[in-house]
Amino acid sequence: MVGNRSVCKKRKWSMRDTELQIMVGFGVVFLIVFNYLAMFGLILAFIDADNTLNIWGAISKFEWCGLKKFEAFLNDVNFWNIVLNTLGLNVLSLLVNFPLPIFFAVLINEIRVKWFKTSIQFFTYLPHFLSWAAFGGLILALINADTGVINAVLVEIGVIDKPINFIGDPDYFWAIIILSNLIKGIGWGSVIYLAAIAGISGELYEAARIDGANRWQLMRHITLPSIAQTITLFLLLNVSSLLNNGTEQILIFQNALNLKKSEVIDTYVLNYGLGWNRYSYATAIGLFKSVISVLLLVLSNAFSKKLTGRGIM
Amino acid sequence: MVKYRTKKHGSFVGKLQSLTVVDYILILFFLCFAFITFFPIWYVVVGSFNLGKDYAAGGVYFLPRIWSLTNYRYVLSSSLIWQGFLVTIGRTVLATTGHIVVTYMVAHAMSRPYLRFRKFYTPFMLFTMFFGGGFIPYYLVLNLLGLLNNFLVYIIPCLFSVYDMLVFTSFLRSIPEELREAAIIDGAGEFRIAFSLILPLCKPVIATVLLWQVVAHWNNYFDSMYYVTDSRLYSIQYVVKTLLGATSVEGNTSMSPEDLENLTGQTISFAAIVVSVLPITIIYPLLNKQFAKGFMLGSLKG
Repeated sequence: MVGNRSVCKKRKWSMRDTELQIMVGFGVVFLIVFNYLAMFGLILAFIDADNTLNIWGAISKFEWCGLKKFEAFLNDVNFWNIVLNTLGLNVLSLLVNFPLPIFFAVLINEIRVKWFKTSIQFFTYLPHFLSWAAFGGLILALINADTGVINAVLVEIGVIDKPINFIGDPDYFWAIIILSNLIKGIGWGSVIYLAAIAGISGELYEAARIDGANRWQLMRHITLPSIAQTITLFLLLNVSSLLNNGTEQILIFQNALNLKKSEVIDTYVLNYGLGWNRYSYATAIGLFKSVISVLLLVLSNAFSKKLTGRGIM
Repeated sequence: MVKYRTKKHGSFVGKLQSLTVVDYILILFFLCFAFITFFPIWYVVVGSFNLGKDYAAGGVYFLPRIWSLTNYRYVLSSSLIWQGFLVTIGRTVLATTGHIVVTYMVAHAMSRPYLRFRKFYTPFMLFTMFFGGGFIPYYLVLNLLGLLNNFLVYIIPCLFSVYDMLVFTSFLRSIPEELREAAIIDGAGEFRIAFSLILPLCKPVIATVLLWQVVAHWNNYFDSMYYVTDSRLYSIQYVVKTLLGATSVEGNTSMSPEDLENLTGQTISFAAIVVSVLPITIIYPLLNKQFAKGFMLGSLKG
């Protein structure tokens, strides 16, 4: 970043400059095509190209329809449902899946038997590397109404009388998403905090121990405050993506029976935009989401700068 | 990682004796925890080795009741699975290689202090990290480029990523500038500097990005679901996904009628899951190590 402007300007254009421009050019062309051209495609939200197969024809005809598509979305019978599903799922997920990895990291750090700790990490990190198609398949097998072990156990201990078809009942959908996310992600989610804990100076602990601090006090007064900044950063990073759901995860568990609780903004765009050829409408919904996401990001960033002196962007 | 305990205990017994009640509670807690995360995997492996018809009766949880390899025989004789593997291996190898070459090259140029128009390039690239067109416009761009229903949809849109470029540049900045200056005096061009001189020094960061990419490509099913309709182009994970909901078993000529009768969609999907995650679990010990290192690289930010 030491670019000296006045020198740069006087320097003659050389072969080296051409080479560098070619190198950067690959990235620039890529972004123009896959990002900026797509952003240009956002005009679809303001022209009517719904229910037409000739999408390019509709764009070239350019029938401006203003904010009609956005109004339609706000008045959509499903609007509150999908917004509540999106936010509800994410907020609950944040409440459960954000603190538990921290808890996990702090506790696993307390294990003194090295080989045991490494093996626990080995087994608990594994689900993170499996695809949602495979891991979702595992969860579906566990909760299956006829053959699944969960139903069998619940019936056995008398919690329920007869097996429940968890995946076909909207009431259980959020629990399935949050818990499967937890099992898949908790181990791996703790890695960043373990890295932060590893960065804490050993002298701090040594000094506190000489002062007679016990294990709990070390954890409470040294470990936790030392990773507080990392925690804040990640919390705000999570808040900024409150409107994004894990689409690959939801699509595994979503079906016609649980749609009432499983339809979120992202899946609505997919189902409506592609399923029903409502390109303009789905683009408008996507834009609506993007704008709010950017606002959330800007707010989180400002908060982060204020709290930790460091932005998340 | 526990830096504050430096005392070394001589023997294994000595180690056990020094543990307190709290230690044992922790160990017990984590044993339960590891069980919860690992049991689903075990459960499906068990199901995949059980006879399908018998599994459907319920009650198979910890060990197969009637051992059978018919599920695997069915899965491994299915052309969909083999094509899926081929597509996934192809996309993983090609896209990962391409991604690293292109992203590294752009990162090299962006890390040069004498790059012209850098004042324009930086915001131009960073902006795309925060705002995008969304799914539908992106889909239409793929359509415009003729990438829909085309194997290249797995590769071309994955050649570059601003995030990975930032990971590369933050690493490149840590390499002393004198090295390049010497090469410039020797008359080396930028491509030579980037690929012959600096690239070998970037092994750790390349290994990290490589593994990120490999896992992402291996596990992706979304692309096949929305960008591809030809079943010969399905990636393995999407094949697995389509099998998850299957209740009936499609005829497979290489198997005897008795075998087909014993199969169920569910146990077949179990076998498909196991087969599809096998490569990832084989390289998992390596991933585990490298990813933990990469986490530190990633958190440096550009």
